[in-house]
Amino acid sequence: MASDAGSTIPLHARNLTVSFADRAALRSISFQLQSGTLTGIIGPNGAGKSTLLRALLGLLPLDAGNVKAFGLPVAKNRQRIAYVPQKQTVDWDFPVTVLDVVLMGRYGRSNSRLWRLLRRPGETDRLAAEQALAQLGMSDFKDRHIRQLSGGQQQRVFLARALCQEADILLLDEPLTGVDVATEEIIFSLIDKLTAAGKTLLLVSHDLSILDRLHQVMLLNRRIIAIGPPEQAATKNNLRQTYGGRLALLDQAEAALTKMK
Amino acid sequence: MLDIFSQIDFQHWLLRPFSERWWQETLCSMLVGVTCGVLGCYVVLRRMALIGDALSHAVLPGVVIAFLITNNTGIVGLLSGALLAGLLTAVLINLISRASRTKEDSSIGIVFTSLFAIGIILVSALPRGLHFDLKCFLFGDPLAVGATDLLLMVIICPVVLALTTALYHPLKLASFDPVVAAAMGVPVMTLHYLLMGMLSATVVAGLKTTGVILVVALVITPASAAYLLTNRLSRMMILAGAFGGLSAVAGMTLSFVTNWPSGATMVVFATAIFGLVLLLSPSQGIVIKMFRRRKMQWIVECEDVLKTVYRNTHEGIEWCNLRLVTNVTRISLRRLHAIVAQLEKKHLLHLNSDNELQLTAAGRIRALEMVRSHRLWESYLTERAGMAVADVHEQAEQLEHVHELVDEVDRNLGHPRVDPHGETIPPGKKPTPS
Repeated sequence: MASDAGSTIPLHARNLTVSFADRAALRSISFQLQSGTLTGIIGPNGAGKSTLLRALLGLLPLDAGNVKAFGLPVAKNRQRIAYVPQKQTVDWDFPVTVLDVVLMGRYGRSNSRLWRLLRRPGETDRLAAEQALAQLGMSDFKDRHIRQLSGGQQQRVFLARALCQEADILLLDEPLTGVDVATEEIIFSLIDKLTAAGKTLLLVSHDLSILDRLHQVMLLNRRIIAIGPPEQAATKNNLRQTYGGRLALLDQAEAALTKMK
Repeated sequence: MLDIFSQIDFQHWLLRPFSERWWQETLCSMLVGVTCGVLGCYVVLRRMALIGDALSHAVLPGVVIAFLITNNTGIVGLLSGALLAGLLTAVLINLISRASRTKEDSSIGIVFTSLFAIGIILVSALPRGLHFDLKCFLFGDPLAVGATDLLLMVIICPVVLALTTALYHPLKLASFDPVVAAAMGVPVMTLHYLLMGMLSATVVAGLKTTGVILVVALVITPASAAYLLTNRLSRMMILAGAFGGLSAVAGMTLSFVTNWPSGATMVVFATAIFGLVLLLSPSQGIVIKMFRRRKMQWIVECEDVLKTVYRNTHEGIEWCNLRLVTNVTRISLRRLHAIVAQLEKKHLLHLNSDNELQLTAAGRIRALEMVRSHRLWESYLTERAGMAVADVHEQAEQLEHVHELVDEVDRNLGHPRVDPHGETIPPGKKPTPS
């Protein structure tokens, strides 16, 4: 296979396989994302959607496969990828203000490993953070403690942090879950702006109602059931397979195999 | 009386704390207190309180082995022994909880008790002629604090402060959101082990002052007190360091005067600071909260009195008896007198010699505001919250005291004229153009 260093493919996953304890969480996932597109990962609870994001970010040990961002291993291209986790993954009582959290997105803007650790955010970083907050309609909240925010506002703070990373690829985990209508509108207009600017977005959702907003949909239930434009991939049959029964026999066989090892 | 006082050697008593020994031990424990306080912020925020306890116990085998090899309690040996043991603890805990389904708190318990047990066995098996003071290790012994311990802390404290300051931003990010930190390339595990290393070093240096069992209090208690006082990590670290240092100095001084064990006295001081903060913190303090609740209750009762007098006076019946007010509001007569006194001072009502009340013009306006608020909330509850007309009165009795929202409720409902019971809603002070 030809080397694709310096490739223009923003994100390219080949044969990703991840397992937890004795069961496969993701089986042989391969796909590519194009610049300026919004891809949605859709599937039921436990389908491995969040696991896939973490695997793409290189945060999980892979059984097989690899991920490249613009032709480079993800670990070497972290500055070009931003990740927005589900908001309940952090402690909202942590002693930081809204601006503090957004400024965290400015970490790592240096090629020297040591300087990345020691660098303090300066005036440019502060401006970028405030601009990101303004884009999400959160300027008035910048000095508030994060405890004083509603669910939708918490989500917007996370998005502002990702935004001021100025990354080319954004991975969003359930950004629309538990947010108010105003936040939802802000998020969608931000997504439009980002894709128009050529960014690559991958968004996880368990909700089918966003289908018509996507350029590409990936139906996931531990493996890719279908991937493509929503009108072609999200067929009745594919959706039934995604949300229907798992491959129970394969699960059992794999459990038996790990015990024999 | 005089006899008793003259028996106490005042000069000795007062000067004792400021001897050379006092300086040495106090300075040493102050540095321990400051370092523990600052590191404690991360221990508390990362929910590693149990790990702090574990590290302090688990360094025993490391210290004993270092003692065996170097044959004395020299700094370098002890420190490296403790560091190795501390890191081993952190790594083992991590391995066990990751590689199996053992929960993290259980793996912490397993690892530190077993390392501590190995340490105890090693102590008992020490060759003849070598004596390791286990009691000093457990409970601390300020008399054993020597110039070397002071030297050790003089090195460790600035190193810890410099590292936590230099690495402030990555440490904050890794503690707040470890997953995103890892995704952004922060060396999360390295920082974790660095914290563990600094904690083991500090714990070992502090052992002689407080002992293994109590040193964890210096890590957790000042940081927890600081956590209640501020919303900024940087301020929390400064406060925790100050609280730690203060408890150490105060505890050490008191223990010199009273001959109480120094470690225990320091911990009692740290807990006293925490207790005070818990009671008096402006945002979280129990006393402040109680005070606010009392004040709110008082305002509610004042308003209830005005409303009751308003409802029970008409043309012809100009005065309302105090007895009637206590019966309706269920406020005790004594408290009612106090409330009436305050309302009179504010010129909202009059009390005549027959114990009867009458509203002033200003009082009538206030009462009308209450009626308006009550009726608007009743309308809101029926129309917007879908409650039955018969059920809304009681809730509205509570909600009517929330004045700042009344105009918004009025706007939301489109300025209604009558409430669900058909009663007229009095217009607001500044009628908003509809």
